Amino acid sequence: MKSSFDALAQGQTINGPSFAVSRESIREFCEASLDFNPLHWDDEYMKGSFGKTKFEGIIMHGMTNFGLITRMLTDWLYPLGAVHRRLETRWKTPVKPGDTIQPVARISGKKETKTSRWVVLDIEVKNQRGETVAIGEAMAEFPPA
Amino acid sequence: MSARFETDFWKDEERRKIWDHIVPGEPRKTIPYTLTLEAIQKYCRAVGDMHPLYFDEAYARATIWKGLIAPPSIHILLMFSCTPADDWMRSPGTINAGQSWSYNIPARPGDTITLQARALDKFIKRDRLFVIHDNVFFNQNDQVVCSGRGWTIRPN
Repeated sequence: MKSSFDALAQGQTINGPSFAVSRESIREFCEASLDFNPLHWDDEYMKGSFGKTKFEGIIMHGMTNFGLITRMLTDWLYPLGAVHRRLETRWKTPVKPGDTIQPVARISGKKETKTSRWVVLDIEVKNQRGETVAIGEAMAEFPPA
Repeated sequence: MSARFETDFWKDEERRKIWDHIVPGEPRKTIPYTLTLEAIQKYCRAVGDMHPLYFDEAYARATIWKGLIAPPSIHILLMFSCTPADDWMRSPGTINAGQSWSYNIPARPGDTITLQARALDKFIKRDRLFVIHDNVFFNQNDQVVCSGRGWTIRPN
């Protein structure tokens, strides 16, 4: 019988949960993460300009993307007896109240080392308009039985 | 979390280092933090993550983890709970440009978490002020929980 690692194929995708972003969900993330940067709650402050950027309203924490990607990966990995080992992300587009975001992962590589087995994944988070809001790479370990 | 956590990030702004004064390599002040189950679950709910490893003790005890754990991304909370109010990561207008994190062992409810952190580099790119910072979280047994780098754009 094939192990869960052997059964994985390059190009295989893992779909994460969709997440509806609202002023309330952003506020809840402030409270849970303790990140009370006014970017995430102060409408007056956000009317200003930030160098070349103008947000015109509060934005979701970039790290909500990170938490959602993590949730996608751990939901997939835990039942396989595998371990989430690494996540790198870059934010591409601000996410605002009213948006819905969803992460997806695609296996880009598998590698066996002296003592373990690894899967590398490309990550992308899109909003409801199909715009990419975050990209990244992840790595998971599939320890030999 | 302690009721003393200051949620008004403007209040201590005058005491925080601006980009000009951040010295790459210089350690940041940090404070130990006892991670509670309540804080873990509050974080989980905020990202809709209701996995039983974070909520169901009996389920978690029967897994390879032998008990409740925090999700890997709990460092999002730890970054603010392990740093004081005058830490420059709280400067209003700080924009998170990207992150990379590696995970060793999970944090657990009741762990006393400590942080070693510093700016690694600072630079100007496309007229923006960047800092790269590195962070390593340890548990009470001096085991690495996770380590990571962040890229932030600093307010000017």
